[in-house]
Amino acid sequence: MLKYFVSRMLMLIPMILIISFIVFIGLEFAPADPLTAMISPDQMSSMTLEDMEAMRESLGLNAPMLVRYGRWLVNLLKGDMGFSIVTGTPITNIISNLLPSTIKLTFAALLVSTFMGLLFGILSAIKSNSAIDYISSVLGVIGISMPEFFIGILALLAFAIRLRWFPAQGRTDVGLGAFGSIKYLVLPACSLGLVLAAALMRYTRNAMLDVLNKDYVKTARAKGLPEWKVYYKHAFRNSLMPISVLICLRLPMLIGGSVVIEQVFGYAGIGSRLLTAINAGDYQLVLVIVLLLSIVSLLASVFIDLLTALLDPRVRLGGDIGGAK
Amino acid sequence: MATALVTKQKRIKKSSLAKRNLQKLLNNKLAVLGLFIVVTMILLCIAAPLLTPYDPGKISLFERDSAPGGEHIFGTDKLGRDVFARILYGGRISILIGLSGALGGMILGVVIGSLCGFFGGILDAIFVKVAELVSIVPQLLLVLILSTIIGPGVPNLIYVFIFTGWVATFRLVRGRFFSLREESFVEACRAFGIGSLSIAFKHILPNCLGPVAVQLTLNTAGFILQEAALSFLGLGVPTGVPTWGNIMNAAKEIITITESPWLWIPTGVAIALFVLGVNFFGDGLRDVLDPSQL
Amino acid sequence: MNKQDYILSIKDLKTQFKVGKRIVKAVDGVTLDVRRGKTLGLVGESGCGKSVTAHSIMQLLPKAATIVDGEIQFRPKDKPEFNILKYKRTDKKLRSMRGKQISMIFQDPMSSLNPVYRVGDQIVENIRQHENISKKQAIKKTVDMLKMLSIPMAEERIKDYPHQFSGGMKQRVMIAMGLISDPELLIADEPTTALDVTIQAQILDLMRHMQDQLGFTIIIITHNMGIVADMADDIAVMYMGKIMEYGTKEDIFLRPSHPYTKALLKSVPVLGNGGNERLEPIRGNTPDPSEMPEGCSFMPRCDMATEACNKAAPNVDIGGGHMVRCWHSKGGAPHE
Repeated sequence: MLKYFVSRMLMLIPMILIISFIVFIGLEFAPADPLTAMISPDQMSSMTLEDMEAMRESLGLNAPMLVRYGRWLVNLLKGDMGFSIVTGTPITNIISNLLPSTIKLTFAALLVSTFMGLLFGILSAIKSNSAIDYISSVLGVIGISMPEFFIGILALLAFAIRLRWFPAQGRTDVGLGAFGSIKYLVLPACSLGLVLAAALMRYTRNAMLDVLNKDYVKTARAKGLPEWKVYYKHAFRNSLMPISVLICLRLPMLIGGSVVIEQVFGYAGIGSRLLTAINAGDYQLVLVIVLLLSIVSLLASVFIDLLTALLDPRVRLGGDIGGAK
Repeated sequence: MATALVTKQKRIKKSSLAKRNLQKLLNNKLAVLGLFIVVTMILLCIAAPLLTPYDPGKISLFERDSAPGGEHIFGTDKLGRDVFARILYGGRISILIGLSGALGGMILGVVIGSLCGFFGGILDAIFVKVAELVSIVPQLLLVLILSTIIGPGVPNLIYVFIFTGWVATFRLVRGRFFSLREESFVEACRAFGIGSLSIAFKHILPNCLGPVAVQLTLNTAGFILQEAALSFLGLGVPTGVPTWGNIMNAAKEIITITESPWLWIPTGVAIALFVLGVNFFGDGLRDVLDPSQL
Repeated sequence: MNKQDYILSIKDLKTQFKVGKRIVKAVDGVTLDVRRGKTLGLVGESGCGKSVTAHSIMQLLPKAATIVDGEIQFRPKDKPEFNILKYKRTDKKLRSMRGKQISMIFQDPMSSLNPVYRVGDQIVENIRQHENISKKQAIKKTVDMLKMLSIPMAEERIKDYPHQFSGGMKQRVMIAMGLISDPELLIADEPTTALDVTIQAQILDLMRHMQDQLGFTIIIITHNMGIVADMADDIAVMYMGKIMEYGTKEDIFLRPSHPYTKALLKSVPVLGNGGNERLEPIRGNTPDPSEMPEGCSFMPRCDMATEACNKAAPNVDIGGGHMVRCWHSKGGAPHE
């Protein structure tokens, strides 16, 4: 298990390097002076053109690209992400203020979708070809066919504007306390989670039906176990592995979706900040956010991957069935 | 001679199999409904000039923001453009982006997948890593980076979708190849002295096409949704071009959501309906091709 | 013979499958008695309904299958007899019967054990489902049973997962699981088909050995005539959902009376049954079960088919419980 864990972690490093390199190239192509992103605006305003050229030289902006990439990476690792060229605030501050809200939103959406997806997926598999199976199948297809933002807007209109159950414009959760912030989280998280829930439900149903045909489920019944135990202990536990693979695959989509949903609800997270940065041409900020969100989704999927390995003794004990090499 | 005979027999058998599958597909009510929705909507979009006298881009300052009814079935937007016309003409672009992105991704995925699956080795190892990388970065963010590099626009968006969309097809084809290349019919082909590429593309590939077709429907649906999301955010197609996402773009403001629902509800429904049709069809296709496959 | 001498009496069992819109009569009127403490071999080609019959006894059929008619009378030793088919699949009565009074082991030991649980826990689960004993006692019982089945280092092995066992060892584990609650009847559905030939012999030996020690009854389902010759006391030959011939091992091997049984015996080599004989395949194929012939189901492949065979054949006792379902054995005259 430890070997597996370490190898998974080591795999992360080249991935992050490659992503950061792509992001850096994006930065190179961006139509903005890199100098403005590296020093604070106060300092900048007191400089002459010669000063700036000297600064460029001393900051190494005229060095070859790979060298600059190396330096940029080292600075990032040190937590120095530069400055927003539009507002002049250090990017590190922006990130540390907003990233937690986004992670909270995505995590809440993940919880909602996992719970709903598994629940209805299992129910429709156990009661396959019944009314509940039929209804949730149809709702499932409709769910995966709706654009996320459309669901969001409809939810906003219905529950926030018309029914007034939730605030229409989600501020951040800063200073609201745990309970106060929940009401800002409910609508965005549910709208974001709904699409994944539908996809998960469809997948869970198939995975469960697949497992229910396995011989070991028959063995469990042959032991005289009650049905709920057969489903829960023997069938569900085994269908968890393919399900968590799907969650892993869909995580990047969930994080991408959070950008859209934050926009719909005016939820102050890293996603909506990303959009303002794009519209303002704040490339340094844009690319740092892109990099961070990619890393978050990478970490999250490695986490789920490890969780799967914990659940599956064949992987955990490095057996002959894939993955552990 | 012998191979020609085998191929011919195979073809005859395949055509009867195709016929049976088509029959099965036509018996699947949801698939037929899905196909009906998709075809009807495409036809409506193509026939747009016959269905509406309005130009989707024509700004009419006297008829700004008017509610549905009268001359404008779905009303007009903030610049006085006819919403119904915009949905029809926008559908052309949205569907074009979705379909061509998915088709391009499919071709790329099939070619790379077949080569990697058949030859394996270092080529395979490289592309597996690339695929992993592409699939781990949130697609929306990938599009962002790419569009800063190559700029916005309809063709660029299609390229971006092709670049991100080949992965699923690639995995599928590669996986099928890995299992099929061990089968005895491949062995038999080798014994007949058929070349590697010919075995890969003429004999193994046709056995992968079922799941690939299903994946094509999934990707089409996905790309149409993504185009909508990107343009809704103002990051996809330039605002001048009407697409479903660009029309929805107006619904970013609360005032539009509450006061001018005709601007976004019909468009949202159009997107959902089209994607629903594609998904129904895709589900049906999957049931017909292999009921046990996920 | 006394009714109590039969542990299980199946009467006119009919199990059907729904495949799309078609109905397939997998078991079409099986009547069968199983002698207590003996071994019954249920033989037939694949698809003849032998496995469905076994699953019907346990009511462990897939969802597409329904038992439409019949009765299965089960007579446990010191308890009142009951008709298994009277109860619903999930009924408590049946649950307390499964794994306790009747156990079943399946064809593929590779997939019969749950891959995510320790082997020991899976056996303990069976004990604790039926007996109210502590986990410690249950583990001890498990280890003892595994030792009886000659699994080396049983104390250690119970902590392993199924993928760490070989096929033969897994089947031993399955047998241990089946026998752990001291059942009266063990149904073994092709228990050795998925195993190597050498392992097959070991597993069969083990089953016989355990039967001698514990005295349970075995129903062994197989397509292998050699295995029934080796294991069974009584044999039922099944074809297309019906029992074609039923009798003791001697009846079947020395006095086969149904043309199908004869053909079957000629088509496979049986040890010690005239080694140099030429094997003859049965001509034709098994018909599609959804398009069964009107009369005797073996008629299309039978060499002695006559006009009479267009009507369903009667089940005739040709002496001492040796039952034959054939027009040509009427009056008990063996035809040769």
